[in-house]
Amino acid sequence: MQAISSESLSKTYKRRFSNRNLVHALQDFSISVQPGEIFSLLGPNGAGKTTFLKILLSLTRASSGTATILGISIHNKKIRSRIGYLPENHRPPGYFTGQQLLSFFGNLSGIPRKVLHSRIPLLLQTVGLSEWQDMKVRKYSKGMLQRIGLAQALINDPDVLFLDEPTDGVDPVGRKEIRDLLINIKHQGKTVFLNSHLLSEVELISDRVAILDKGKLLRVGSVDELTSRGLLYHIGVESEIPESAKEELSAKVLKITYGVGTLAAELTSIGELNAVIDILRKHNVGITSIVKQRSSLEESFLNLIKREVAV
Amino acid sequence: MKVVALIVQTVRELVAKATLFVLAGISTLIILVVLLSIGSTETPEGVVLTMFSLPVSPPSPADKLAEVVSIMQAGFAGGLFVGVVIFGVFATAGIVPDTLEKGTIDLYLSKPVARWELLLGRYLGAVVVMLINILYFLGAIWVIIGFKVGVWNVHFLFAALSLTFVFACLFSLTLALGVLFRNTAIPIIGSFLHLFVIGGILEHRDQSLFLISENAVYRRIIDGFYYLLPQISAMQENVANLIMQQTITWEPFVQSFLVAALYFGAAVVLFMKMDF
Repeated sequence: MQAISSESLSKTYKRRFSNRNLVHALQDFSISVQPGEIFSLLGPNGAGKTTFLKILLSLTRASSGTATILGISIHNKKIRSRIGYLPENHRPPGYFTGQQLLSFFGNLSGIPRKVLHSRIPLLLQTVGLSEWQDMKVRKYSKGMLQRIGLAQALINDPDVLFLDEPTDGVDPVGRKEIRDLLINIKHQGKTVFLNSHLLSEVELISDRVAILDKGKLLRVGSVDELTSRGLLYHIGVESEIPESAKEELSAKVLKITYGVGTLAAELTSIGELNAVIDILRKHNVGITSIVKQRSSLEESFLNLIKREVAV
Repeated sequence: MKVVALIVQTVRELVAKATLFVLAGISTLIILVVLLSIGSTETPEGVVLTMFSLPVSPPSPADKLAEVVSIMQAGFAGGLFVGVVIFGVFATAGIVPDTLEKGTIDLYLSKPVARWELLLGRYLGAVVVMLINILYFLGAIWVIIGFKVGVWNVHFLFAALSLTFVFACLFSLTLALGVLFRNTAIPIIGSFLHLFVIGGILEHRDQSLFLISENAVYRRIIDGFYYLLPQISAMQENVANLIMQQTITWEPFVQSFLVAALYFGAAVVLFMKMDF
């Protein structure tokens, strides 16, 4: 059973009284997320990330297509007792204290009072708000609001957690704490679905990533798959490479460039890498390191979006 | 359980608003004035009700005193209703549009709570707050008059429930407008328009709108509008009759209940179809 599955999901917004100027927020969007994964959805503003989340949570109806969470149709209200959601720019009722807010959302989730009594202090501790549990939420800073929002999303101990920009407004220490928390949740066998602009963070914790633009799915894969730059290696060397070795290397390798104490080789197979090492060793060039080159997720993302714009 | 949580939340939200404190403050002030001023004096012609030692009623025989007191109580209830409606509509008109705001509605609807439960909880919460306010004012006046004048008119207490019912009927219109327009201003304007202008004109349509034309279709349409809105002034009149122990017509209450149910139902249907 998949944690999240969508099939040909589309959402088109129409202008009132007119069929012109249709906005295709989501087009034929199909993905599946496995249980226990941290899955991130990336895309520029207006790509359709939040629309997809809202359809999954029945906040918005899809124009066509189907979706399930934990094998249950998203239209079945019961599924919402097994999920948690932190919306982007959420606005919890400010007249509650942090503790009252969690109690209220716990009641709405149908959690027995006894369970809430023990769970709320733990959650407040987890998100680092124990000290401020009796302060009115309206007095919370942006970072504190994100933390209490995360706590309310966890109040029902959900199997699937949806987070829309969870680290927005949180300081670096807080962001690290949230990342650790998400990894901990994943280790409990739960699924985390993340929408984020902070690609460096997504890269650190995500198992798989999907890139979305103008409502269309561009790519899905592991962070390794998306950031791999083919077989580009940087090889560190102890001494200068003799001209004879350079000639041999040029004959063997498609593209090679030399720097100080290093060479960069663009290869077509692992066999070629072994051949490069053999040539260097034959000419008594000591090897200090061999590093496979990758681009950052941000670079891969930007390249993909640029390519899409060019098409 | 979920609806109860929503009622409690709404009560908490409204208590946090200054508007209701003003209403409670005005009520307290009037209660204190009544407490300090009201009394009765026996004269050879009968008992006279006094305020600040000045007579406010003609001398009545002891058995007629209850009647005089009930007229005074009807006046209190009428005055309170105007206050409750003005402050109540101002305080409560925003609770649904606020709930529907981006970032707030997402939090509610991501929980296993049905949309109709959410609306019902918010609606009942507002009505409960008004009931508490009305009971506080009328209850205090009832006790003061009971102790100081010796008249314990139980019908005056029933008026608290009736006035809350009247508010609930009006609030169903406010709620429906709030869902439809997703802002606070239009429900307030709509409710006040109905309360102070349209309701009165329709109530007395035979002396106003019917004079424009004798056409039967036109008059049916006007009648239709009348029956599609809660009959606030007719109910208010009946609440006064209830306090004064006179004959009551139930028809405006029944009709207003049905109309309120219709508005609430329409609000739920509309809410169910909304995308956020």
